[in-house]
Amino acid sequence: MISPTPMQTRIEMKLQEAFRPIELDVINESHMHAGHAGDDGSGGSHWCVVIKSNAFDGISRVGRDRMVYDALVDEMKIIHALTIKIKT
Amino acid sequence: MENIVFDQIKKEIASHDVVLFMKGTGVFPQCGFSAAVVQTLSEMGVSFKDINILEDQTMRQAIKDFSQWPTIPQLYVKGEFVGGCDIVREMAETGELAQMFDAKGISHSKAA
Repeated sequence: MISPTPMQTRIEMKLQEAFRPIELDVINESHMHAGHAGDDGSGGSHWCVVIKSNAFDGISRVGRDRMVYDALVDEMKIIHALTIKIKT
Repeated sequence: MENIVFDQIKKEIASHDVVLFMKGTGVFPQCGFSAAVVQTLSEMGVSFKDINILEDQTMRQAIKDFSQWPTIPQLYVKGEFVGGCDIVREMAETGELAQMFDAKGISHSKAA
């Protein structure tokens, strides 16, 4: 049996592939929301992404976030929340 | 089916200046991110139409497809998608939100 890839690695791999970032931090914030709405008990419900990439140059804030959401379309179906911090 | 809900969304964002698609209601938000946007708008004295997507599963999916935005809350001002919780909070901090309300003629209590 192959165990599922942990969410952190999944998110990192997808973002690496999509944006070739200069900087990338994927932070699990689930513990900050334990017991709140959206906490499914998995310990992987709330995430924060800090990313810096030339791919975002010249794109609006909403457009940039959409690019990140698009890259993580499968993960967004599983997790509850994703905070996106894009550095330019 | 999708078209009917899309029409309903279009009608809501056309007939109210500020619309918040959220989990719960303005009085009783049921998610911290929705609550944060409610708080921001309330602090600015901006009245808004709240649409509780938890009460309507069709709307819950449709608004994500309509906005091409996978998360809730979602703020619309004068029919235009502004963003979710992060963007609204960031815009409030930088004063951009007040500027946008001014530009769109929406009354609020915060000086830009």
